[in-house]
Parts: sequence; C-alpha cells; structure tokens
Amino acid sequence: MLNIENLTVSVDDKTILKGLTLDVPAGEVHAIMGPNGAGKSTLGYTLAGRSNYEVTAGSATLNGEDLFAKDVHERAAAGLYLSFQYPLEIPGVPALTFIRTALNAQRKLRGEGEMSAPEFLKTTREVAKSLKIDMDMLKRPLNVGFSGGEKKRMEVLQMALLKPKFLILDETDSGLDIDALKVVSEGVNALRAPDRGMLVITHYQRLLDHITPDRIHILVDGRIVHSGGPELAHELEARGYDEYLGEAA
Amino acid sequence: MAFDLFDPITWPTRRDEEWKYSDLARHLRITPRELEVSTDIAAPGLTLDGFHVHNVFGADYSGLEAAVKAALKDFGGKLWLRHCARGRLDGVAGFQNKGRIDLAAGEHLTLFETYEGKGNYAVHSELEFTLAEGARLERVVVMDEPETATSVRQSTIDTAPNAHYVQTVISTGAAFQRFESHVTHAGHGAQVRMDGAYLLKNKTHFDYTTRLDHQHINGVTTQAIKGLVKDQAQVVFQGRILVQKGADGTDARMRHQALILNDGARVRAKPELEIYADDVQCAHGNTIGNLDENALFFCMSRGMDEATARGLLMQAFIVPVIEAIDDDQLRAAVLEFVEAKAGGFYGV
Repeated sequence: MLNIENLTVSVDDKTILKGLTLDVPAGEVHAIMGPNGAGKSTLGYTLAGRSNYEVTAGSATLNGEDLFAKDVHERAAAGLYLSFQYPLEIPGVPALTFIRTALNAQRKLRGEGEMSAPEFLKTTREVAKSLKIDMDMLKRPLNVGFSGGEKKRMEVLQMALLKPKFLILDETDSGLDIDALKVVSEGVNALRAPDRGMLVITHYQRLLDHITPDRIHILVDGRIVHSGGPELAHELEARGYDEYLGEAA
Repeated sequence: MAFDLFDPITWPTRRDEEWKYSDLARHLRITPRELEVSTDIAAPGLTLDGFHVHNVFGADYSGLEAAVKAALKDFGGKLWLRHCARGRLDGVAGFQNKGRIDLAAGEHLTLFETYEGKGNYAVHSELEFTLAEGARLERVVVMDEPETATSVRQSTIDTAPNAHYVQTVISTGAAFQRFESHVTHAGHGAQVRMDGAYLLKNKTHFDYTTRLDHQHINGVTTQAIKGLVKDQAQVVFQGRILVQKGADGTDARMRHQALILNDGARVRAKPELEIYADDVQCAHGNTIGNLDENALFFCMSRGMDEATARGLLMQAFIVPVIEAIDDDQLRAAVLEFVEAKAGGFYGV
C-alpha cells in the first residue's frame, strides 16, 4: 500500500525529515506519534504535495505508483487523502458544491463519468446523517463559521464521499470535545476496510483510544525511532518522549 | 462634479485630486461628437420578468419620471433602466444628460440599471436621487460595456431619516469607466450600503468612487467591494466617509478587497475616513493580494486541478457581494451574469 523509503525533506532549506522509512500495508491503521517539531505534519504535507516541501532524497509510493511524480490533484485521484489539522474556510462556496466539484474532478482524471446531481445528493444525505451533519449546513460555505468539531466532521464526510484508498489524518483530534471526538472516530472507523490504509498523526493517545491502530511509530527529529503495537500509546502517555529524544540525539 | 463632455477645457485631469488616478482629459483627447438619438437598441443579454423596462439611449433620460411612476404603480416598484449607447465610425459618439428620481415618503423602488453599448462612444450621465423619510431604494448596476467605451456615470443621493439606500455595482470595465456616487446621509435611522464587484481584464479601466457625507446622528453605512484584475487592467477605488461635527453615533464600515492575478494588472485604493464627531464607530479595511495558496492547496488536495481550483476560489471571492443583493430575481440574474463572464476570465 503506502511505502516510504529513506525520505528526506526540507522546508525553506531546513531539513525536517531525515531519512524516514515506513510501510503501511492495505487494511492497516498506523499511528505516528511524536513531540512538537518532529516532522509529523511535514510528512502529511509532503505526501500530499504541498509546494514548498522539497523532497531531497527517498521515495514514496502508493500501490506501487510514485507519488512524487504526480501533481497534488493527481495524488488525490490516485487515492490519497490528507485530512487537515485546520481545514480551510472557503467563503462563497457551498460545501456541497465544493465536494461535488472535487469528486467529479477526481472521476474525470480517472476516466470515469461525472456523478449525477441526484445520485450525489442521495449518497451525501446518507453519509451526512451518519455523521450527524445537517443538510442545511452543507448548503453553507464550506467551513465558514463552523465549530472545530463541525470542520472535522466535514473532513470525514469528504473522506466518505471521495472514497480514497489511503487516508492521512493530521491531528484530527485537535479542537474536538469528547462527543465530537466520538462521532469523528466512528466515522473514521467505518471507513476501515481491507483495501484501505490509514496513517493517523497525533500528539496524544486520546484519539487512539477511539481509533485503535495496528502499529504505532514514534517520530523524533525527522526519523522513526521506535515502533510497536497499540500498547505503546499508553506507555508514551505515562512516560513521555524523553527516552526517545535521547536516542535521536 | 460637473464637467462638460463636449468642452475639453472642463475635462478633469490628474491635477484634480478627485481624478488623479482616472485622468479623463488624457484618455479622451478628441472631443466626442453628439449623435442623433436613435431608438435602435440591441436585445439585452438578460431577461427579467416582472420589471417595468425603460430604455435609455446614451444618457437620454426623457420619460424617466413616468417610468418610475409606472413601476411603482404596476410593477411592485421594480424598474429596469436599460442604458445603451452606440459608437460611430468617424470619431467618438458623445452622449451627456441628467436624470432625476424622487421617492416620496415610504416608497420602495428596486432599480436595475444595465449599461451596454457598441463601438467608440463616450457617455457622461448624471442621476439625481432624493429619498424622503422611510423611502427605500435598491440600485443594482451591471456595467457591461465594450472595451472601446468611455463611460462616466455620476449620481447624487439625498437621504432622509429612516431612508434606506443600497447600491451594488458590478463592472467588467471599459477603455475608461467611472461610477461615482455622492450620498448625503441623513442619519436618524437612515441606512446606506454601497457594495461593488469587478472583474477586469485586457486594457480596461474601472474607477469606483464613493463619497459619503454623514451629517446627522445615528447614521449607518456599510461598504463591501471585491474584485479581480488581470492582464493590464487597472482599477481605482476611492471611498471617502465624512462624519460631520455632531453626527454622533455614526456607524460606518468600508471594506475593499482585490485580487491581482498577474504582474501587469494594477489596483489603486484610496480609502478615507474624515471624522469630526465624537462617539462614532468607523473602520476601513483594504487588502490587495493574490489567491490564498493554502486554500489552493486545500482544493487541489481534494482532487481539483489547478485551473478548477483557481476558478472556484475566484468565483468564491466575488460571490458574497452578489449574495447580499436583496431582490431575489436580481441576485439570480447578476449571479448568472458573473458566471457567464467568469467562464473566460479564470483561465489565466
């Protein structure tokens, strides 16, 4: 599924990722944990193709396809989805219009026909209901004036409608209260599938109580310094990152 | 503000502070010649039911008073002023005249003004409005003029307590185009809104000048102007809000936001607040920039190619101004107009 080899990335001439290697097989959920500044978000942005994130060495493939050879939107059409820590507000574009435009752009790139408006509405209505999103909210400009929880639910709604093959969740738990966290996690869990992989980026173990990962990787100073099973999250919560900071130095 | 289109001596130049960035004299050079009035007006690009239609050839406002009466009596206060001008082959055709609309206490008028034309022409029109107590005027202005036109549209608006004045100006520019409004704000519950949106390309020039004079207490004013400029197009926005001594409790807010889509395009913004009263709330904000790269990346990461994402964001930038139009029919018509114009606009 997702294979990252020896990835080195610079932002504004500062090296952030320093030879990161990671494999996430289909059907598995992996978590990346690490202290501030370790490069967690950089990993997500680099995979999605943000412009000032320069790959100086290494490779990343999704189902064998070279991600770095593709433009941002082509990676999305190939099945990559980055859920933003802070989803952007798009004034003037109703959420429905935004999602439908994105969906049809992806379908076009994959050589599929456009989804008709009634079919799109029907599917959206079903998914929205399961995420407790009111259809009226989808007629409002995307994320404008939405609460933190609403923005994250919109992210999950888009995942469910765009049906990506691989999900990267960047700090999806930030800004969520317990109830919103539950709804969002249930939405994400519903998307777990044998042919879909996920990478969950988080500071805290809290999110991993709801979305149980198959593996946890600890990212410190641009490298993965330790990997383990789901129990690792609780160990980290108890002991912190200190022991790993030593290893990286 | 008066000048005579047919007398070059009177043409404003850059030495006039008000015309510093829109030098009419330098632009016009040759004196336009009056054209015999013609009734030959092309079919409009827009259709709209339920409006009383009154055609204005050039700046000929004869029959305007009767048209307003008819609109108020039989069309629920909906009047469409269809301005049309036509150039001539030898030189520039000139049109100049004044019109006047008086609304009595409590009268409501929705005025749709469209400006269209063909060829080489120069128009100088002046509209005078008076709004009596509690009267309401919503002007929705669509300036869809050819890139060869010279067009100066001036208006004065005199309000009374509790009157409502709203104008939304949509422009695609011309060789030289200026829309200028002077509002006397009566305060005492009177409300004024002066919005605008522009999409300019090629070598067009659009000048949006608004002058607001708060003379009495508790007047409310809001302004939101947004626009997109590309190629070698030039935009001038001059907004002045004057709060006179004693006009306490004034609440005035002005916002102008422009996106410049390439290096050759230019926006000059001159917002001014002149305040002589105490206890007022006044604010102006002005931003000129490029499309938000973060928003662009966000859209593309969801699968939109760059052109689609840019188009969506540009449309999104403009649309809130249009969505603020009160009249449902006009809002829909203007949205349709902007979408049609935008089609060829976004593909930079």
